Amino acid sequence: MNYFEPKSVDEALSLLAKYGEEAKVIAGGTDVMVDIKYKEEPGCLVNIKKIPGLGAIQENGGNLRVGSLVTIREIETNSIVRERLPVFWEACHQFASLQIRNTATVGGNICRASPSGETLAPLLVLEAKGKLAFADGEKSEPFDSFFQGPGKTTLGYKGLLTEIEIPYPPNGSRGVYLKHAVRGAMDIAMVGVAVLVTPDAAKNSLQDVRIGLGAVAPTPIRATKTEAMLRGKPVDAALVKEAAAMAASESSPISDQRSSAENRRWIVEALTRRGLQQSWQAATGKEVA
Amino acid sequence: MAKAEFKIIGTSPARMGGVERVVGKGVYGIDLMLKDQLHGAILRSQYAHAKVVSIDTSEAKKIPGVHTVVTAADAPNVRFGRSYFDRHILARDKVRFMGDPVAAVAAESPAIAKQALKKIKVVYEPLPVAIDPEEATKPEAPTLHEDMPLPKSIPADAKLKNICGHAVAHVGDAEKAMAEADVVVEEVYETKMIHPQYLEPRIAAAQMEPNGRLTVWANAQAPFPVRQETAKTLGLSLNNVRVISAGLGGGFGGKGSGITSGAAIEPICGLLAIKAKRPVMIVLDKAEETISTTIRAGAKMYIKTGVKKDGTIVARTGKVFYDAGGYSGFGVQAGGRCTNMLGGWYLMPNCHIDGYTVYTNKQVCGPVRGPGGPQAAFAVESHMDSIAAKLGMDPVEFRLKNTPKPGDKIVGVPKLRDVSLGETIRIAKEKIGWGKVKLEKNQGVGIATGSWIESAGPGGGAIVKVNEDGSVTVHIGKIDMGTIPGFGIPMIVAEELGVPVEDVTVVNVDTDASPWDAGTVGSRGILVSGTASRLAAIDARNQIFKMAASQLEASPDDLEIVDKQIRVKGTPAKAVALATIATNAHNVIGEVIGRGYFDNVAAVAEEKQHGSSQPFTAHACIVEVNPDTGNVKILKYVAVHDIGQPIHKAAVEGQIEGAAAMSIGQALCEQVVFDTNGRTMNPSFVDYLMPTINMMPRIETTLVSGYPGAGPYGAKGAGEIACVPPMAAIANAIYNATGVRIKTLPLSPENVLRALKEAGKA
Amino acid sequence: MSLTINTTINGKSVSGSAETSTSLLDFLRDTLEYKGTKLCCNTGECGACTIIYNGMPINSCVTMAADAIGAEITTIEGLADGDKLHPVQQAFIDTGAVQCGYCTPGYIISVKALLDRTTKPTAEDIEEAVSGNICRCTGYNKIVDAIHLAADRIAGRA
Repeated sequence: MNYFEPKSVDEALSLLAKYGEEAKVIAGGTDVMVDIKYKEEPGCLVNIKKIPGLGAIQENGGNLRVGSLVTIREIETNSIVRERLPVFWEACHQFASLQIRNTATVGGNICRASPSGETLAPLLVLEAKGKLAFADGEKSEPFDSFFQGPGKTTLGYKGLLTEIEIPYPPNGSRGVYLKHAVRGAMDIAMVGVAVLVTPDAAKNSLQDVRIGLGAVAPTPIRATKTEAMLRGKPVDAALVKEAAAMAASESSPISDQRSSAENRRWIVEALTRRGLQQSWQAATGKEVA
Repeated sequence: MAKAEFKIIGTSPARMGGVERVVGKGVYGIDLMLKDQLHGAILRSQYAHAKVVSIDTSEAKKIPGVHTVVTAADAPNVRFGRSYFDRHILARDKVRFMGDPVAAVAAESPAIAKQALKKIKVVYEPLPVAIDPEEATKPEAPTLHEDMPLPKSIPADAKLKNICGHAVAHVGDAEKAMAEADVVVEEVYETKMIHPQYLEPRIAAAQMEPNGRLTVWANAQAPFPVRQETAKTLGLSLNNVRVISAGLGGGFGGKGSGITSGAAIEPICGLLAIKAKRPVMIVLDKAEETISTTIRAGAKMYIKTGVKKDGTIVARTGKVFYDAGGYSGFGVQAGGRCTNMLGGWYLMPNCHIDGYTVYTNKQVCGPVRGPGGPQAAFAVESHMDSIAAKLGMDPVEFRLKNTPKPGDKIVGVPKLRDVSLGETIRIAKEKIGWGKVKLEKNQGVGIATGSWIESAGPGGGAIVKVNEDGSVTVHIGKIDMGTIPGFGIPMIVAEELGVPVEDVTVVNVDTDASPWDAGTVGSRGILVSGTASRLAAIDARNQIFKMAASQLEASPDDLEIVDKQIRVKGTPAKAVALATIATNAHNVIGEVIGRGYFDNVAAVAEEKQHGSSQPFTAHACIVEVNPDTGNVKILKYVAVHDIGQPIHKAAVEGQIEGAAAMSIGQALCEQVVFDTNGRTMNPSFVDYLMPTINMMPRIETTLVSGYPGAGPYGAKGAGEIACVPPMAAIANAIYNATGVRIKTLPLSPENVLRALKEAGKA
Repeated sequence: MSLTINTTINGKSVSGSAETSTSLLDFLRDTLEYKGTKLCCNTGECGACTIIYNGMPINSCVTMAADAIGAEITTIEGLADGDKLHPVQQAFIDTGAVQCGYCTPGYIISVKALLDRTTKPTAEDIEEAVSGNICRCTGYNKIVDAIHLAADRIAGRA
């Protein structure tokens, strides 16, 4: 297996262009090392950790920019993230184990594009964008078009994710990330639900609402029909119940060794309901009547 | 012996071997590195059930760096096993589960070995697969072992098949008594396959010595049975096979090769070493372990009990389908135990239970921590609560009402000498706050009891050698995996010989030098090796006293050893150093060598005459059920145990806490999941979920005293019994919290949520 | 492809070669023969392979050997000071937290990393530090006791 440590994004991109499907990008290694051991060894391993400029967290007006090599632990211990992007922070806080968080990168979690990837539903709900580098230039892409299937993204074999940009949610918004798993530690999410609500000025209705679902479709998804149904409506228990049921129907989970599809839909319903209740309470001080 | 008389027994000195482990010395099997070793790897079946039509190893053999490739044709046509000799070390005509070894390779590196496995061409003729043990007994099920006869006790017209064991628990006239009962409850309970998932992978290493002997290193719980199995399957005489034990990183019965037709990697490794003429080491991958090594079987248990209105149990009937897997392994023994224990450990005047151990195309049942017991207890103790509910009786009072007294008999035990069950129940009730603790919504409290017998026979020996400086070297046949060789044994020998615990070394098992032993299994460590070591130490002491007596001008009966000094009782000034006598022994008897053994025949006779003192237990817990997700959180957990006299107090607590944790795992999150083809779907730790620290409550342990056991100083075995009650304790607490009785394990979030939804409670 | 790995382990400069596909765990155990760090699940799911890497506890089984180049690594072999055990090591012995001992090196490393940060760990701190470490023998109770005892001793409270 060939091995390279490119010192720049351009160098990395030319390696990817040269080796195509044979190349595997590795950063923290917590996913790729397992592949190397238990699946096929790639023809060439491209270790991108030596590329400068990809490891910073910095504010940029109304956004937070997070380099793709930033580790999950660095995000978890960052006070700006905790304060301004708690939905994203919570996903990083519940991620695997401390040992894994110390080396796993946010770029790695995103590019792995596992339907249950911890940070993915939160990034959708926060309407984050990725900065994708290709040999013929850079582009910015919202994550809701980035994920194309399990393990597949618009990067293809030749692109490199260099940075993510997360806009701060509108004033007055509050959100949660709820993860369903068996143990509460070291788990892969059976279902992940991220919710963000923005109440209207009177704190009666939903000016905006975003619901992200993980592990219940080939990619992380937004429950767009549910969101549309909810927008502008005054919040009460009946509405939340209806929304939860609708979100469950928007999911298309599979049955696997972790859970049946039926159970995943039940959990989507339960966590959407809880997520809306908790977010609404945090945003308005009101309990859902 | 009153507690005040003990200097060491009952305390908690530092574990022998503790320092090596905390500084990271390579004491485990996996840390071995033989000079010039090759790496061995095993090719396993791709089908759960198939004929092996042909195996072509020619391409694999050509790969540079491959030294040998072996199949069944390279080994004698000898089968091995425990109750049934139904298994070859490498599949000969058939494969019967997906981990079944088919071929093996020895190569210069693990990567080359892996390559070679891929090049071995096996032609299979797939056969229909049997997964469920009850279904596998029906006439239309595929036949797994064409030439294994049904147990003789099964009538031919029963039209059953694939049964390798039939046990019957029978007392009185159950049918008649059931018909006369006031209230009858009938239920079905089911548990799933569990893997013991010790953390250290299994290894085997082997090399041919210049004199033609085969040396095998194994991280196995039973080195002597490994020697037996290796010699038998490779056609060698026992004096030409030497098995050396390494420290084990856990075992829990799953590393019980030789006791069962389990993984048999030692004979395969030996075969590779013989053919390659080089040392070979095999290291299993953890995912490979889950699919191929021995497991705790699942069981389906039908249980029906008749009671009088006042709560007196009058009859029990039942049926057990115990899942042996592809080979009989330890299934017959475990299935028998499960069958007996389904009769419970309460007064049971009439009982008839048929237990069938059944072949299925899955991993093989091993002697995993309390084999058969936790499964039976899940059924029995959940069922007790169901009966209590139907009677409108408090579950604790119902149990106490049916608790036996000294002199009574219970199913499988003709006479009880003393009975701690009632006391353990009362203490558990008090410690959990039964009837008193304030429970919030979705919270519940549950109790479950248990029993376990140190498994029947065999005995074992010990040799205690007193060195010239008064330090002591002990040889037993049981290994250390956090068990008695590091804890109780040095203490017992030190107690009897009047030396500090640190001066006693228990050496690693080497079948060339250690006394024969069945291995570290069955909660028999303290009973067998503890008794043997004590007697050996006393024997050594007697030799010492005989030699010292003349020097001290006293009778041997008047002597004692205190702090390495042999002295006359009452006249401490008349003393001689133990070291002096031990050195002088060279001129008199050669060396002070004490010999002791556990006489199993005498022990059985003693029990028959005076009754047995079971190590009873009661566990209780408070749980909180999340009605949205089905997650169960344990808020409080108490474990009350009668272990007789604890030798090493912290070690006994550690065994209880660890065994309870293992069954809490079986209750809440563990199972081996299969698809319809018999493929294990969760072999790695990613999806085979064991409890993490956040899930585990503090297990508040209470030891009751006053019920001496058959072990040294009245000790009882502690390694397995705490595995018995937890699943039912948790299920009963869930019932108390939600009103929903769940009869299939695990009590995973999905299963709990489904049960709640089906009952209209979520 | 073979790489030369120059790294610092327990304060000592060491050098060895490894394949690019070799994990840091295999490099430690098989090339350098540091057997203290343990191999178990090999997928980053049990913590038995935990080492300190540039000040952080990580799973060495899912880290490249190549990543050791230029790094400062502490393994279990580096904790004792000659014959004097590190307080965490001593505490594990004293509370009976060592049964089979296989999880012990990974635990001790994780706990040392925790207590280097704080000697007053809360229940959450402890859970965060070691919920990535599986123990199959102890049921965790005595390990928690060991962590508190070590913290007390390091802080001079015991």
